[in-house]
Amino acid sequence: MKKLILKSVLYFLLILIVLEVLVRVFHLAKDTPTRFLDESKVEKWVPNQKGFSVTGNRKQNFSEYHINQSGYNSYREFTPTDDKIEIALVGDSFIEGFHQNYYNSIGKKIENSIPDIEVYEYGYAGYDFADQLHLVNAYKEQFDKIDQIILGIKFSNDLNRGKYEVVMGRLALESPMNKLLKKSKLLVYCKSIGILDPPQRLMYRLMNVLRPNPKKRELNKQELLQIKKEKETKYLANFNSLINEYGYDKNRFTLLLDSKITSPFFLSYLNENGFNYIDFSVYFSNSNKSTTLIYDRHWNNHGRELIAKAISKYLIEKPYLKKND
Amino acid sequence: MLFNSLDFFIFLPVVFVIYWLLFNKNLKLQNFFILMASYVFYGMWDWRFLFLILASTIVDFIVGQFIYNNESKILKKRWLWISIVFNIGLLGFFKYYNFFIDSWIDLVTIFGYEIKSSWTLRIILPVGISFYTFQTMSYSLDIYYKRLTPTKDFISFATFVSFFPQLVAGPIERASNLLSQITTKRKFNYTQCKEGLKLIIWGLFKKVVIADSIAPIVDDVFANYQNYPASTLILGVTLFSFQVYGDFSGYSDIAIGTSKLFGIELMSNFKFPNFSRNVAEYWQRWHVSLSTWFRHYVYIPLGGSRVSKLKSVRNIIIIFLVSGFWHGANWTFIVWGAIHAVLYIPVFLMGRNRIYMNNVVSENRWFPSIKEISQILLTFSLITFSRVFFRSESITDAFGFLKQLYSNFSFEIYEHPLGYRMIDYFILLTLFILYEFRIRRDERAPFKFKSKIIRFIAYALVILAMLLFFDDNIDRSFIYFQF
Repeated sequence: MKKLILKSVLYFLLILIVLEVLVRVFHLAKDTPTRFLDESKVEKWVPNQKGFSVTGNRKQNFSEYHINQSGYNSYREFTPTDDKIEIALVGDSFIEGFHQNYYNSIGKKIENSIPDIEVYEYGYAGYDFADQLHLVNAYKEQFDKIDQIILGIKFSNDLNRGKYEVVMGRLALESPMNKLLKKSKLLVYCKSIGILDPPQRLMYRLMNVLRPNPKKRELNKQELLQIKKEKETKYLANFNSLINEYGYDKNRFTLLLDSKITSPFFLSYLNENGFNYIDFSVYFSNSNKSTTLIYDRHWNNHGRELIAKAISKYLIEKPYLKKND
Repeated sequence: MLFNSLDFFIFLPVVFVIYWLLFNKNLKLQNFFILMASYVFYGMWDWRFLFLILASTIVDFIVGQFIYNNESKILKKRWLWISIVFNIGLLGFFKYYNFFIDSWIDLVTIFGYEIKSSWTLRIILPVGISFYTFQTMSYSLDIYYKRLTPTKDFISFATFVSFFPQLVAGPIERASNLLSQITTKRKFNYTQCKEGLKLIIWGLFKKVVIADSIAPIVDDVFANYQNYPASTLILGVTLFSFQVYGDFSGYSDIAIGTSKLFGIELMSNFKFPNFSRNVAEYWQRWHVSLSTWFRHYVYIPLGGSRVSKLKSVRNIIIIFLVSGFWHGANWTFIVWGAIHAVLYIPVFLMGRNRIYMNNVVSENRWFPSIKEISQILLTFSLITFSRVFFRSESITDAFGFLKQLYSNFSFEIYEHPLGYRMIDYFILLTLFILYEFRIRRDERAPFKFKSKIIRFIAYALVILAMLLFFDDNIDRSFIYFQF
């Protein structure tokens, strides 16, 4: 029996090593850039990193990223001046676009359709509205030179807080332990395809084995409606609190949203108070092709084309571009 | 508990270590421990149905004693009937009750009567009921036919009924094989354990890589057959052939491998059926334990092939219909069984039903001949055709599927419902077929390589394939659990 156990352990270790090698050779696991908190308390990627993002098992989606000097995934450096026409796209992972080659991003697509402009993509996974306005405010000098700032917003996700605070949970991903674990590409791959979910769930179950399980009560329609209303009011209050704190230039700032998943209550507030927004829902619903990756909810190339089209159409009407015509 | 779950990967080593380290010196304790482990294994699915297993165990244990101890043939027969009625009664209630009620309602509706369907019940089908009831019945039957002496050790008998590796989906063992091993002292055998581990890895590969990865395609094709052309339907049903094979033979391999770890040899259940040269050979290679059961306890008692041709044909029809019905309470399974009877009878009448019994395709050659390839392809196509009924939800769906196949006879490139590359699956299946062909001589030795390095590479590749095709979103239960 001793022999069986010893040999099994030995084979297990050897196979792990071979798998680690194979995962690296075939580049099955994603590379993850390192993040940091800069002097203005803006969370971003450490500048000048390159790597490949992989989604799904068997490399279903494989794309290259490039973190520029400013700490964002983009093919260009962000050097706003008063003479050029610059557009800033600020948002979460959808704008960050690790699911596309960095030279085929939404910004690049906009630049292709409108020559002579530069699009700066300040995308970072997890950025909500507070993160976005804090970034714009922290780099006020730069952003003041940018002609148009487009802020991607998802009403149900991005207005959970009315005040900016550093999200420590995301930065904890840079802990020495996490960094060490990320060194094993096999582990990164296994995590990304969900093989490690059952052991994680088991650990969680074991850790909570003595805790009483709070009984969940089914909510009725009335209660659900009440909760929805309360949330909408809270989100709107957060929106106002943030724009009051950081300021919001209605001429230069534009929201990018999907009206189909945005509360009508919020939309009418925007309309009544003169907030500009680009609604890309029409483009998506008119499309007969899928707009998202199949194994991931992020926009695919077609989806990004449509977003770029919606933004370009909005920008082309702007006076600074009309002058050029 | 599923073989492909984390629970099992914790459960198995723990049971294995305790079994050999703590209880090795005392057979009774060892059997008691494995019995308790088996009940835990089953109880993790639904502990309430443990009482059914226990009831079936007690009934057949007592019946076995009475059959053996009674001199009177009539009394022996009566005791045997108690076992049969009890076990078939369990099956009838839990598996077939609603089917009979629904069929009765449908029948009287044809004659213009109307019956409310309030007689149907919401019954959960206990996992493995078709397997363990057949196994316990075989014990009583073997005692009745004087092939077996009953055991007086209840724990050993209960272990025979509930032995966890084969409890929920077989192989359906006969007492003469399994019980005799349970009542005999077992010694730890390194080689046997090693072979067991290899079979577990191979079984997992067949389940995770072949069966589970194909499942979304098959589900999509059968759920939306009305929208697909013939090429897609053919693809769907062909892939289902591989799915059901990978799923069930994978389960059997894990069961056999796990048993080996405990020093117990189970019978082979699958012997590369996809390389069968006719339908008779297919049935000698597919779900062998069930075919053997039916042959021993239904076909031979009916006279088998030692009666007139006409009666033999009748026996074949009976055995295939019963076998079909065993698979599930649905007319689709009965039609599936009938199709197999229709395919088998000509082979039987031509006297070709036993010609491939003791050899495999291209026995002493590297490659099969053109004739053999044609035979394999024809057999595989016929079997695959029958699977339209096996997989369809209802008879209407099965005929709808066939109608669509005929009425929309065109080709169209199929796209995976989850967006995955289809080419991956074609490469995978081609490699799988070629590999299975290479190992076709011994279903119990999936990694038979002389070179240690090549064997190690094979392990690594099989595990890599599991990582490549693993999909967390797929329902990972085994198809045969529903039977």
